[in-house]
Amino acid sequence: MGEVIVITSGKGGVGKTTTTANIGTALALEGKKVVLIDADIGLRNLDVVMGLENRIVYDLVDVVEGTCRLKQALIRDKRFNGLHLLPAAQTRDKNAVTPAQMQKLCEELKQHFDFILIDCPAGIEQGFKNAIAGADKAVVVTVPEVSAVRDADRIIGLLASNELPNPLLIVNRLRMDMVKRGDMMDIDDTIDILGVDLLGVVPDDEKIIVSSNRGEPAVTEDSSLAGQAYRNIAKRLLGEDVPLMNLQTEETFMDKLRKLFSGKNKKKH
Amino acid sequence: MTQQPVVFKGTRKGLSIYIANDAKIEDIRSAADSKLKSGKPFFDGATVNLTFLGREFNSQEQSQLLELFAQYMKIGTVEFTQAPARQEEYPSDDHYNFFDGIEEGMARFVRGTVRSGQRIFYEGNIVVIGDVNPGGEVIAGGNILVLGTLRGIAYAGATGNSSAVVASYCLQPTQLRIAGYITRAPEGETIKPPYPEVAYIKGDQLIIEPYLPGKGKQAESILQTKV
Repeated sequence: MGEVIVITSGKGGVGKTTTTANIGTALALEGKKVVLIDADIGLRNLDVVMGLENRIVYDLVDVVEGTCRLKQALIRDKRFNGLHLLPAAQTRDKNAVTPAQMQKLCEELKQHFDFILIDCPAGIEQGFKNAIAGADKAVVVTVPEVSAVRDADRIIGLLASNELPNPLLIVNRLRMDMVKRGDMMDIDDTIDILGVDLLGVVPDDEKIIVSSNRGEPAVTEDSSLAGQAYRNIAKRLLGEDVPLMNLQTEETFMDKLRKLFSGKNKKKH
Repeated sequence: MTQQPVVFKGTRKGLSIYIANDAKIEDIRSAADSKLKSGKPFFDGATVNLTFLGREFNSQEQSQLLELFAQYMKIGTVEFTQAPARQEEYPSDDHYNFFDGIEEGMARFVRGTVRSGQRIFYEGNIVVIGDVNPGGEVIAGGNILVLGTLRGIAYAGATGNSSAVVASYCLQPTQLRIAGYITRAPEGETIKPPYPEVAYIKGDQLIIEPYLPGKGKQAESILQTKV
């Protein structure tokens, strides 16, 4: 029996789709049978990030409407054994699917796969309701910005009222240099406000943009810091105890000294 | 004592509106309107069951009244009934003016964090066992206690009781309101108070100070004045 995990955020552009693609690929590399569902009907992206756009014949809406069988719509990723994609329809909208239909679909997929990852659309409307309907567990993605954290907080509240309490948190696109200068919220501040368990921290990494454009998830690249972070997240989902990556390697003695003094100065003001 | 044309009374069922038998419809409407205005934040967005007692109305007058109330609240059930038999059963005017159980009165306990988009609303006192996050709102007729960090909006004494207080282990609200007074966090760098604080109204000012003796006395701060 598999596990259905919805990846959501409330705010758009924080990296839900990238996260879904990378965690899914990392889980497949760990030898699991994985299916990625793109629930963003009408604005599908996951297929592009996965580089599988040109193989779409049937989609999610075709499956729930009974136009095709589930197996026909699943696209098998030939690069990674065990990885599949169920793409969204591009010509329809969120109302083409109901929460009950999503629930049924997830139940069916659970029989055949270890992990079902649902890429949730931004917002809190129909698309969100559809995406979370069949989920057993939720992962909330946020970036260390006040507006994104505000939305994440709202989402956590909505998840709790939909029987998905205690979601896991991914802080995406963290820039250690900015945190050090005090220009970005640090992880502790974020967790303090949201009050949920941290699943992982993904550093800001230019390579993510390159790999998304190419349709090759960053987890396949050993040199990518973000890719490493996603591999760690996948391991944690499998129950392994992986410590957080040390993102502060470049902090020297002088940095510490500077931090000490700037901290003192702040208190005086 | 001259009888008021309109008297509001909060009941467990909703809102009872006592209307004087001899009042003119214009007087009733203007009196009700001013009362609703003063209680606007309290009613705002809430669903309220209405019971009209007293003067009989024809259907046109009824719809006029409901239209007026609908501007301020979502109307639940509506009932028009006869006046109470005896004059004494009319509540005195100040009865509904505010919740007065500040020292001792009904309270609602909220377990868990009040998150963005959530709104807790209660006629009596409210105790939150958790945080109130930015975008979350807590509105009480009486006191508000937050056993965690208050980062959102707290509105104590929402029905007009200015002796209500807001207390929190860590008081960092977006906005703080008590009765008719309103303050917001000062611009610029936010300071995290290292001790629990209480906000109350003294004279014409909303004052925030630590409530444990000997803790952070020098940091006692007086915020903005009445708006």
